[in-house]
Amino acid sequence: MSDTCIGLKLGQIVPDFELATYDPVRGDFGKFSLRDQIARERWSILFFYPADFTFV
Amino acid sequence: MGCDIVTVSTDTQFSHLAWQRSEKELANVRYQMGADPTGKVSRMFGVYDESTGLDLRGTFIINPEGKLLNMEMNFYNLGRNIDEMMRKFKANIYMSKKTNEVCPSKWKDEGDKTLVDPGAKMVGKVHEALNT
Repeated sequence: MSDTCIGLKLGQIVPDFELATYDPVRGDFGKFSLRDQIARERWSILFFYPADFTFV
Repeated sequence: MGCDIVTVSTDTQFSHLAWQRSEKELANVRYQMGADPTGKVSRMFGVYDESTGLDLRGTFIINPEGKLLNMEMNFYNLGRNIDEMMRKFKANIYMSKKTNEVCPSKWKDEGDKTLVDPGAKMVGKVHEALNT
């Protein structure tokens, strides 16, 4: 049985988080941090997907 | 537009590198590709599927103050429409500047009809508000 639940509520402030990233523009690894986005006053769109090398 | 798009899966950043460099469909990608192999961030957003270790197709729009304004979630077999994602993103940016306006269902882009100062006067009169 899969176990998923909505972790966040709309309208709430999202807790700070970080992700290791690959940046194709620089061709290098980097970091995405919500705290940096807020400091730079930028919108963020997070687009989750199941797996690399697949389709849809 | 002052926005950063980040794709996220539970693959590592090494897998993202290999995929982006080998798949021609991704040749023009300019956004960062995030890695969440422990699933920590994915669980926080509620997209992590414990039975597979993979993320469901969730999209989240966060404003510059860190507030979550929109979420969409699809099962594995249904791709998201990027035009719809951009429509919702543009609508949120527009409404962040025009806080007394709301975007009705047919809104697609700046310049389309909005509902201004919705309130008691508009109750039962939405048709008139949209068609004047």
